Amino acid sequence: MAAEAGLSRSTFAKLSPHPYLLANLEPSSDSAAPTRSNGRAPFEVRKPTVNLSSLSHAHGSALVRTGDTTVICGIRGETILTEHIPNYRASNTQTELSDYDLLVPNIELATGSAPQFLPGGPPTTLAQTLSTRIYSLLHSSKLLRAEDLRIWHKRSAEPAIPIPGDEEEVMEEQDGEPYVAAYWVLYIDIFFISFDGNPFDAAWAATVAALRDTKLPHARYDPDREMILCSRKDPRPLTVGSIPIACTAVIFTGNETKDQAPDGKFWLLADPDTLEESLCNETVTIVVDCAGGSRRILSISKHGGTAMTAKLLGSKDFLDWASKRWEDFALAITGTRL
Amino acid sequence: MADRRRINGPGGSTLPPVYDDTELDAVSLRQRAPDAIRPLYLKTGVTPSASGSAYLEIEPREGKHGSGMKLACTVHGPRSLPRSAPFSPYMVLSTHVKFAPFATKQRRGYLRDSSEKDLGTLLETALRGAMIADRWPKSGVDVVVTIIEGESTRQDAVERRVEEWDAMNVLGGCITVASAAIADAGIDCVDTVSGGVAALVADKDGGELSMVLDPVALEHESVLAACCVAYLPNRDEVTNLWFRGQLPSTGTHNYQTLVSKAVQASKGVHGLISASLSEVIENSQA
Repeated sequence: MAAEAGLSRSTFAKLSPHPYLLANLEPSSDSAAPTRSNGRAPFEVRKPTVNLSSLSHAHGSALVRTGDTTVICGIRGETILTEHIPNYRASNTQTELSDYDLLVPNIELATGSAPQFLPGGPPTTLAQTLSTRIYSLLHSSKLLRAEDLRIWHKRSAEPAIPIPGDEEEVMEEQDGEPYVAAYWVLYIDIFFISFDGNPFDAAWAATVAALRDTKLPHARYDPDREMILCSRKDPRPLTVGSIPIACTAVIFTGNETKDQAPDGKFWLLADPDTLEESLCNETVTIVVDCAGGSRRILSISKHGGTAMTAKLLGSKDFLDWASKRWEDFALAITGTRL
Repeated sequence: MADRRRINGPGGSTLPPVYDDTELDAVSLRQRAPDAIRPLYLKTGVTPSASGSAYLEIEPREGKHGSGMKLACTVHGPRSLPRSAPFSPYMVLSTHVKFAPFATKQRRGYLRDSSEKDLGTLLETALRGAMIADRWPKSGVDVVVTIIEGESTRQDAVERRVEEWDAMNVLGGCITVASAAIADAGIDCVDTVSGGVAALVADKDGGELSMVLDPVALEHESVLAACCVAYLPNRDEVTNLWFRGQLPSTGTHNYQTLVSKAVQASKGVHGLISASLSEVIENSQA
């Protein structure tokens, strides 16, 4: 019908997005398979491509592209002396990453990546939300080890010249025990070059890929200059064992005004684009790590709407889809290295 | 007051790594002929949701550890101005140049600094002369250039204080990429404007001076003067000219020669823009 009227798919989708998507998902004849406005099947995702180490100034970088969404992530390490950390406690060896704020992810959408994201103003609500989600997932997924970010120093064991009236310091100086002199702080900057829906999956995949690519230089503390000196030889990669991947889907109910259609019918659309995101209220994101054949769920978040039930969230179809998507991303991230 | 809308990191001050050993590769000298520009890669349509977009990559210097320049540009509009804006019989052009935090040796912040605002103003002047602004009254166009990777990859560049010369190369790249993105957006222009840079350099201390096209400050002992032009080749007009440095008052190396060298460089770049745009047209017709 569309072809007869001389209108292309994208024109129809733009003119009347909601009825067009509904008509495509519920084709009148049985011969046609349900598709989405963009031509994909409901569970079909855009194939990710990953490009590592394309930036020369960053310690690690990755470019991730899924369809028309393109993200660049650059990671840069900077050092902070423990004496400059206000709440530093030497006994703390468990929660250093979050207590001292050693990971600093920020998302920039205002590069003109889409018409609604123009520079000049403060970061949009979406950019702030995404930054916070990446930040909390970085900490909760335990992706990085604090040991990689510690810079050790051994106090010289030579007897220091005793200073009268300052016994305590002398005692400390004689101690040859290694201690943490400084930490690396990772600045994770995520730039959207092109935006077409599903920003979180792409941004998170770029973050993970860039962290796996990050090599920090060898660093040591120079007590005379009271600063950290680095060496260019043999930079050391971070230990990032797992590859958690975020999988997002939206729920389309076919009803423009209410959350749920009267007959309770709804469609799950995987890896939504901008148009689909604007038509759906309900979003579900599941973060999985399927390394070694076992599926571990790191996070599930679902916002808006009530169509998605707990039963469906735990259903085999949904979890298998997440595993499949994990495989795609894991291949794209690690495959380029082999 | 910290920016509460972004994640700021630790309260104390952090330092970029300070290296105490020398860089692995030695400073390479210029291998190209004095009148040769570096190879470029230009692609339009990288951001489908924008009216027009382009990506420009300038190949690194000779040697493995050099870094080129990577720029992305999006053009949004022409679209109607907000109701609050005063009436304008012409198209209102606004340009925005931003370095990504990972673009340069020193980490850049998210707020625009004065050098980025300067570049934005210079770019606006360069583009304004080429666009036929009175065909779109009451409308606005936004040109956003993101510098994904700038030049001066090495610590030397900071130590030798040559980074200021890189701003010229960045502006030249910005003009070229913005011009391609505007053409991709289909906004009427009198000609495609292109940016070119030339410089007067000395290779040895007190040595002979020479003029080179598309200079890379690190490849030379010192840069005495540099000039960046935005040039319309078909009309033989210059829409923007940025000159900096000192020239000897006598001899062959005078101001006019330097400007004409910069024009020569932008003619070379222009050939690339037209080749890239005609390739897009051929592909769409095929």
